[in-house]
Amino acid sequence: MFRKLAVYTPLTLFAAITLVPFLYLACSSLKTNDVFFSSPFLPIDSAWWDINWSGLTLDNFKRLFQEAGIGRAIVNSFFFASTMAVLGTLGSAMGGYALAKFNFLGRGMFTNIVLTALIIPGALLLAPGYKVLYTLGLLDSYAGLILPGVAPAFGVFLFRQAFVSGLPTEMMEAGRIDGCGEVRMFFQLALPMVRPMVGAFLLITYLGTWNNFIGPQIVLQTPEKYPLAVAVAQLRGPYGSEYGMIMAGTIVAILPVLILFLMLQKDFIAGLTAGSVKG
Amino acid sequence: MAMKRSILGSGYLSPGSAIVMLIAAVSTVVVLVWPIEKRQGLEFWTFSKTHSQMYAEQLKTWNAQADAEGAHPRVNLFVIDMTALVRRTLSSFWADTPVADMIEVEGNTIGRYVAGPLEDVGFVDLTDLLQEEGIYDLVNPPSFSLWTSRGRVFGLPHDVHPVMLCYRADIVEEAGIDVSEIETWDDFARVLAPLIKDLDGDGRPDRYLLNTWYTNTEWIEPLMLQAGGGTFDESGELIVASKANALVISTIIHWCFGEGRIAIDAPEFSPAANHLKIEGRVVASLMPDWLASTWKNDMPQLSGKLKLMPLPAWEPGGRRTSVYGGTMIAIPKSTKNFDEAWAFVKHLYLSEELAEELYRTTNIITPVRRYWDSDYFNEPDPYFQGQAPGAMYIALAPDVPPRTSSPFRPLAMTRIGEAINDLRKYAQANDIYEVDGLMPEALRLLEEAERRVRAEMSRNVFLTEVTP
Repeated sequence: MFRKLAVYTPLTLFAAITLVPFLYLACSSLKTNDVFFSSPFLPIDSAWWDINWSGLTLDNFKRLFQEAGIGRAIVNSFFFASTMAVLGTLGSAMGGYALAKFNFLGRGMFTNIVLTALIIPGALLLAPGYKVLYTLGLLDSYAGLILPGVAPAFGVFLFRQAFVSGLPTEMMEAGRIDGCGEVRMFFQLALPMVRPMVGAFLLITYLGTWNNFIGPQIVLQTPEKYPLAVAVAQLRGPYGSEYGMIMAGTIVAILPVLILFLMLQKDFIAGLTAGSVKG
Repeated sequence: MAMKRSILGSGYLSPGSAIVMLIAAVSTVVVLVWPIEKRQGLEFWTFSKTHSQMYAEQLKTWNAQADAEGAHPRVNLFVIDMTALVRRTLSSFWADTPVADMIEVEGNTIGRYVAGPLEDVGFVDLTDLLQEEGIYDLVNPPSFSLWTSRGRVFGLPHDVHPVMLCYRADIVEEAGIDVSEIETWDDFARVLAPLIKDLDGDGRPDRYLLNTWYTNTEWIEPLMLQAGGGTFDESGELIVASKANALVISTIIHWCFGEGRIAIDAPEFSPAANHLKIEGRVVASLMPDWLASTWKNDMPQLSGKLKLMPLPAWEPGGRRTSVYGGTMIAIPKSTKNFDEAWAFVKHLYLSEELAEELYRTTNIITPVRRYWDSDYFNEPDPYFQGQAPGAMYIALAPDVPPRTSSPFRPLAMTRIGEAINDLRKYAQANDIYEVDGLMPEALRLLEEAERRVRAEMSRNVFLTEVTP
């Protein structure tokens, strides 16, 4: 009993400390501008227990949807995150599968190119990427944001490693003997063998895209196409910021993805630990 | 082998993956059927939502005329976060691709656009047009300095941004202090000294006179400009190691440390610092015109407790103001509609409607001098105990110091920041906090800072000959 207490007391304490910023966020999103700076959490009058209830409001959330058009941004974020997660995972898995299981001319060179691409800083690709998107007529389009992320180097290499260790070549040969075609083999034989990796990568890409800020900022120009991260950033201004609305916007931005993460955390952990106990 | 199962069936995808795929399918349908308004005409980017709200009425009129008479194209205004605007514009300049027809540029970012040979600057050089059309004579001359590189002007200024001193009139008047006795910063420290107080009885002062700190170089620069220093002079020469700068940084250390301390660190846009201001722990702050509206919005509790006065000078008879912040509107070279864009730029920035809206919404005074006599600038403002901030800022506008657009300004300010920090170490190590005692070391440190800036500038093969 004492041992449990000794372990769980500090853990609970640290967990509570990590929640303090979220508490600040939640309280701030409900405060009016007049009382925003009067106290860090709930608005108070003379002492910490004397809460000024008139300083609390849902207006920040209402204005967020009515004035800042955050509803559309939520849909856009769901669209970008899920579409890029699905296409990115599919593209990465296909690329990794090819590099891991097929012998073709230049396989080594392609693998090296993928590895080299991992070390190029993203900032270096801004201008050339912009130029390519312009040349292809993809600026300010959904495709301009999605296509460059369809086969990320990191994902291709990750799946290559997963297929090398998780998919026996003998199984593929057995499939071919049974008359299985290559496309079918990929979807019905290879992918299920790396299922934990599919789940984990899907979620990683989903979270990464949901939080992506720089890409949409540069590629998208029409306000109706902005995802949440960009739409919330628009609430900042040089002469001051709508603090209450920013806090409300942040809550709206993290809530859906938090719920999704809580639902899918088993997939995420399974993917990350896949292969970790292999002898 | 079990080949009959579907991909979405049990076994192939985890529940999580299936949920993500479902979200992808549903959201794709929603995005595809949700219509997006198609915009025809010129594109105008601004980084400020407040600006967009101010321009709304004039845009409406302009676009109504465009629809009715077809005399000019419509203008579509986009509010784009400042970082995004800079990234997009620079990406576009570097990749040689089209960008908006008109772009508002914030003062701190101008160096990034003019970093390179003049002919490679992505904005149209407006110098000759401004002269030919007499716009130079309409606008307050110092307002052009920030948008001028190597003698060429790349935009029409939006503002002047003179700086005044905002003080807690309730505290000062309760103590029976008359601020008209204050002419210099020395007077300021002497006259207001009785207000430094221990408010909570712990034996240490909690209230100080001036909101500034040795680490906050962003707000030290206006003080250097006021003293006649800064980073580059009007001819583009480095002046980091000037006596004016040495005086300012020595004074800052004197204000922040030792027995002569009068400064408190309460930076703008910080909730914690705003709390200090509301509690009366800060007696005075530097206040450019635009900051007045920010305070009104963020700290309505201070209404009726504040007053404005010209900045104390660095020497008797010296400059009583400085400058902080700035915006301009520029036209990228890539536009195919220069004439139409230029017509709109003039219509918007030189209009009296905007001048009034600018002041009423943000307390910003227009750089267009012919409107400075307008009645609205003389209206009393209850936030400042009935003073007329507009008229007060306008009285100081012609004295605003010129600024540089050099791409090396941020580097020079970083080096000056390091010099200030080294001066702080020197002061504490030698227990010297008086300005006269610190001046020789301040000059030595600034000379070293200038040498380093010069060395780093000389490495830039594109700019060595021609910049700033």
